[in-house]
Amino acid sequence: MENNATSNEYVRGTLKTIVLNLLAEHDRMYGYEITQEVKDRTGGAIALTFGALYPVLHKLEQEGLLVTESVEVDGRLRKYYSLTTPGNEAARDKTNDLERFIEAVRLLLAPKSLATE
Amino acid sequence: MKRLQENRLDLISKYLQASKLDPELLPEILDHLACEAEERLWDGKSFEQVFGTILDTADSQTLLNLSVDHKNLLAMEKSLNDIVFEGRNKLYGAYALRKGYSQTMQRSVLMGVTLFLLMVMLPNLYARLVPEPKASDIAYVVEAKPIDIVPEEMPKVLPKKEPAPVAKTVKSVQFVVLPDNQVEIENIPPSVEELETAQPGQETVDGVENLDIVAPPVVAAKPAASSVVGVEPLKEETFLGNVEQAPEYRGGLAAMGAFLQKNLKYPSQAAKAGIEGRVFVEFTVGSDGKVENVKSLKGIGFGCDEEAVRVVQLMRNWNPGKQAGVPVRVRFTLPIAFQLN
Repeated sequence: MENNATSNEYVRGTLKTIVLNLLAEHDRMYGYEITQEVKDRTGGAIALTFGALYPVLHKLEQEGLLVTESVEVDGRLRKYYSLTTPGNEAARDKTNDLERFIEAVRLLLAPKSLATE
Repeated sequence: MKRLQENRLDLISKYLQASKLDPELLPEILDHLACEAEERLWDGKSFEQVFGTILDTADSQTLLNLSVDHKNLLAMEKSLNDIVFEGRNKLYGAYALRKGYSQTMQRSVLMGVTLFLLMVMLPNLYARLVPEPKASDIAYVVEAKPIDIVPEEMPKVLPKKEPAPVAKTVKSVQFVVLPDNQVEIENIPPSVEELETAQPGQETVDGVENLDIVAPPVVAAKPAASSVVGVEPLKEETFLGNVEQAPEYRGGLAAMGAFLQKNLKYPSQAAKAGIEGRVFVEFTVGSDGKVENVKSLKGIGFGCDEEAVRVVQLMRNWNPGKQAGVPVRVRFTLPIAFQLN
C-alpha cells in the first residue's frame, strides 16, 4: 500500500507520457487495457487507478492528441483511444523529454549511491 | 474469460448512478469496472467478494473526483451562455435560441447573400440561358459557307436599283456605216424624172404614160354617170338588227344618187378592161350620223372597189337611225353599180 502510494506520486507527473507512449505502440487501447498493460510490464510495480487514468485520457482527448471510438462489446460500450498525428509527435517529444529527465535524475541519484558504497 | 451476467452489470451500473457519477463518464467507468470484475472472477473469487473490492477501489469519493475533473475539463470549453444559464431553466427556449444564435446568423447571412446575388445575377443568367438557340443558329449558318455568300451578293444588287431611277429614254436608231453595195434601199421618194412620165399614186403601176389626170376618167365617167342612177339603197341593219327608224341620207335617195353620180369616177383600168358590176360597200352610220368603218364587202376589182369606198367616205353626215326615239349606230350596206355604156 505504501509502495503504491509512492509510486502514485511519481506516476502522476509521468502518466501522460506513459499513456502516449503506450498508445504509440498500439493501434488503439481502452482504459482497462492500459492499466493491465502497465501492471503486466512493470510486474505490478506501477498500478494505475482509473481515478487517475481517465481524467488524463479525457484531457489528452480535449487537447486533440487522442481520438476515441465507441464499440459495443458484451453489451457494454467500450471506448477505444488512439493517437492523432499531433498525438504521435507529442508522444515522441514527451518520451524523449522523460528519458532525459530520468537520465538527469539518475545522475542526481548516482553520486549518492556511489558515496554510500 | 468469464462474462459478467446482465444483472450483475446492472448492479454495478446502479451503484455508479447512485454515486452521482457524470452520465457522460458512466459507460466508460462501467466497462472498466466490469473488466476488472471479470478478471477477478476468473481468478476464482465469488461475485460478492469481487463486488466488495470494486466498491473499495471505486468509492464514492473517487467517483466524485472523477466527475468534478470532467466538469472542470468541460468548463474550459463552456461558453458564456452556459455560465449565464447555470442552474436555470434551459427548456424555456431562450437557452436554445442563444445557443443556436451564431448558427442562425451564419445561415441567414448565407441565405441573404445568396438571394441578393441571385437577384443581381438573374438578368445575366437569363441572358445567358435564352440566347443559346441564337448562338447555335449563327454557328449553323457559319458552317454553311455557300449559303453565306449568296445573301451578301443580294444586298449589293438591291441598293443599286433603288437609288438610281431609270431616266426616260427612247431607243435611238443605230446607224451602221456599210459599204454601198450592202446598203438596203428602202422607200425612196420618186425622182423628178420618174414624175415627168407618171403620176404620184398609192402604188407604182406600170400604166399608160402621160395620161392626163382628168381626161381619161372624164371620158369614161360620162357614160358611167348615167348608169349610176340605178342605185338602189339596200338597207341592212346588221348592228342592231331592225331599227324602228332607219338611217337616211340627208336629202333622201335622190340626193344620194346625185352625190354619187357627181363624185364617182369610173376607174380607167376598169373602163379599159370593160369591167361592169356592183360593188357592195358596208359602213356604219353612227348615232351622230357619221359614216365610219367603210369597206367593200364584195367587189368587181380593177379599182372599182376602192373608188366606191372612197366616195362613200366622202359622204356628209346622215340622219342617224333611231330606236325608241334614241339615235343609235346602224350597220348599213350600199350596193353601187358600175356600168359602161
